Amino acid sequence: MQGKPLIYINGTASISPQRTFDGSFLSEPINYTGNVLTCQTPDFKAYLPAIQLRRLGRMLRVGLTASIICLRNSAITTPDGIITATGYGFLEDTERFLREIIERNESQLTPTHFMQGTYNALAGLVGLSLHCTGYNNTYVSKGYALGSALDDAIIQIQDEPELNMLVGAYDEAVSVQYKSVARDGHFKQEQIDSLKLFEHPTPGSLQGEGAAFFLLSGVQTSQTICRLTGHYGLFQPTADELFNELESFLSAHETTISDLDLWIAGLSGDVNRDQTLRSLADGALSSIPQGRFKHLTGEYCTADGFALWLGANIIKKQSVPASIMASSLKAPNKLRKVLIVNHYLDRNYTFYLLERPRA
Amino acid sequence: MRKGGRVFITGYGIITSIGKNAEENLQSLVNQRHGYGDIDILNTAHSHDLRCCEIKITDEDLRALARAEGNGLTRTSLLGLVALREAVQHAQLTKEELNRSGLLSSTTTGGIREFERDFFNILDLDRRGEFEQFADTAIPGDHSERLAGQVGIHNYVATLSTACSSAANAIMQGAALIRSGRLDCAVCGGSEALSKFTINGFNALMILDNEHCRPFDASRRGLNLGEGAAYLVLESEARVERLKKKPLAILAGTGNANDAYHLTASSPEGTGALKAMRLALSHARIDARDIGYVNAHGTATENNDLSEGTGLKRLFAGELPPFSSTKPYTGHTLAAAGSIEAVYSILALQHGMVWPSLNFMSPIPELEIHPATSLIRNVSIRHVLSNSFGFGGNTSSLLLSAV
Repeated sequence: MQGKPLIYINGTASISPQRTFDGSFLSEPINYTGNVLTCQTPDFKAYLPAIQLRRLGRMLRVGLTASIICLRNSAITTPDGIITATGYGFLEDTERFLREIIERNESQLTPTHFMQGTYNALAGLVGLSLHCTGYNNTYVSKGYALGSALDDAIIQIQDEPELNMLVGAYDEAVSVQYKSVARDGHFKQEQIDSLKLFEHPTPGSLQGEGAAFFLLSGVQTSQTICRLTGHYGLFQPTADELFNELESFLSAHETTISDLDLWIAGLSGDVNRDQTLRSLADGALSSIPQGRFKHLTGEYCTADGFALWLGANIIKKQSVPASIMASSLKAPNKLRKVLIVNHYLDRNYTFYLLERPRA
Repeated sequence: MRKGGRVFITGYGIITSIGKNAEENLQSLVNQRHGYGDIDILNTAHSHDLRCCEIKITDEDLRALARAEGNGLTRTSLLGLVALREAVQHAQLTKEELNRSGLLSSTTTGGIREFERDFFNILDLDRRGEFEQFADTAIPGDHSERLAGQVGIHNYVATLSTACSSAANAIMQGAALIRSGRLDCAVCGGSEALSKFTINGFNALMILDNEHCRPFDASRRGLNLGEGAAYLVLESEARVERLKKKPLAILAGTGNANDAYHLTASSPEGTGALKAMRLALSHARIDARDIGYVNAHGTATENNDLSEGTGLKRLFAGELPPFSSTKPYTGHTLAAAGSIEAVYSILALQHGMVWPSLNFMSPIPELEIHPATSLIRNVSIRHVLSNSFGFGGNTSSLLLSAV
């Protein structure tokens, strides 16, 4: 059987609660004290026409800008397909339209927030801005939204390696989302310094947000960041199942745990919901240098998008930001294989295996 | 043979305003019974002036019909569960087979109906009560995880939301996962409950008709909303052969494109529509002349029908096969429309019938195209195109073939 083509990440972008848009690579992490982390944004005027800036809601601006940065980084003008992923979508617009409906008793409404609250608004907007009539899709699979978007993109690239697929993930930290999940104990009761998230072994995490975009192709270019060797998702595994699935995931990609130079743990700081992932951290992966990121971003459905951006750029730069290192183990100088294991609410688990491409 | 073999449809389930299972839907189509009328179950200020195709079953009765268990099941989830249970039973999937299957389900607004009802209770964190089970069910991925849990699907769960083309994309991606070898069985479709959110959103966009909708008619003024759900069971060719199953239809081709014209309107040239249909044909390696019926998106908005009709004329170069829109029967069921109409397309293949467009009087002057207006029986249809287009420029087309 003919081997499947390799998948390359040829461009990335992240807009997050850290200054991830200016190349500083998490060297001066920003601390948040209100348990809610929102995006540090670039000057949108450098990316978006004035008319769009006025019309678009905040997260649409963030997402559209991230897509533009990603395309510039990958030196691609028009991708062959656009696939976005989100958990809650543009909830701020949704809430505003809902409030208007109730307050105005279903009359005299304007459609702006309704339109911008649609889950596929960003994928449509990116397509429209780029005049891209190619493939267009949007996944809203909670903590597996990015995973399912990548499944879609990769199946297509495996059929046609020369395709350039733009894949983006976004979620926003808004009050209505906070309130809809707060009763389930998603967030910490006590106010903490976000950078000290892991020093608080209490229930709940921090509310976060971000947008991350990736340009995927089966063709290696001079812009190539890394290889996405594989990814996999599973739902509500026990600790044993998580370990077994990780082993078979790695072995399917001809990798053993000892081959890993670094792993990025999607620990959320929630003492209860982190237990399953901690069993890996304290067990099978305890000898591998460990990075973490949710003290920098907070928790959200598509937080694995930030982790993927982080892991990809660690390989590209061959350097690990000190602000992510959790273990006393030092990452080796040569970083060839990086594993990401994320979870969302101890329900959706995702694995990503990244590799340095051959020169 | 194409890579990964063919993808077969081995079962389906459906609930709409014209029937709570496939047989009832078939009888309504044959007898041209529509579901349009006042809104009785949803509490809205527009129950008489913006009539819809509402399913006249209360949530409580839906729970019983769906054999639902536990809390937090929104009307979207309950409608979905009714159709999903029928589909897995139709395909005779065993417990072990379900466990290894995937579910790809779509919705445009998840459980927004319950969210808007309980809005102020949910936002006041001091309040407690029955409503809490719906505090976090507006998130669109919620319904799929619950549906998968109720029927025991564990291998793969994904949720899609591309407005009115959502369920077609769910079916398309299920087929892609099967061809790639990731799954050998995928249950795909969508579910949509009426809500104040969607009724008022479409009303604010001024694309609702306050009379019964008239697809492809010169006098069309907009769409009627509807609610419903439908799921199709897709299985790989290898598995169908191994289990000696008798497939109902073949998902021969799929096409997805973007119109890239406007966020909520279609291009006058039908760019996206034409591209999606062409992609589905080339994917299936079938010539446009072999299409026996087109189940059009046909929302009856001025814009869609002109754009889609233009696309159809360009594709078929003036020789249009019989086509119709079934939206007057069910209303526009948004994220469920793609799978509901895929079921109607398969019923057309199975029974050799073309469902007539209701309310058509005179053609759109720019197009001069005539949908089927009376039931066509005893025709041999080999291939059907089913179109689903949506906001964001999303255009998708499915090509379904007889076995």
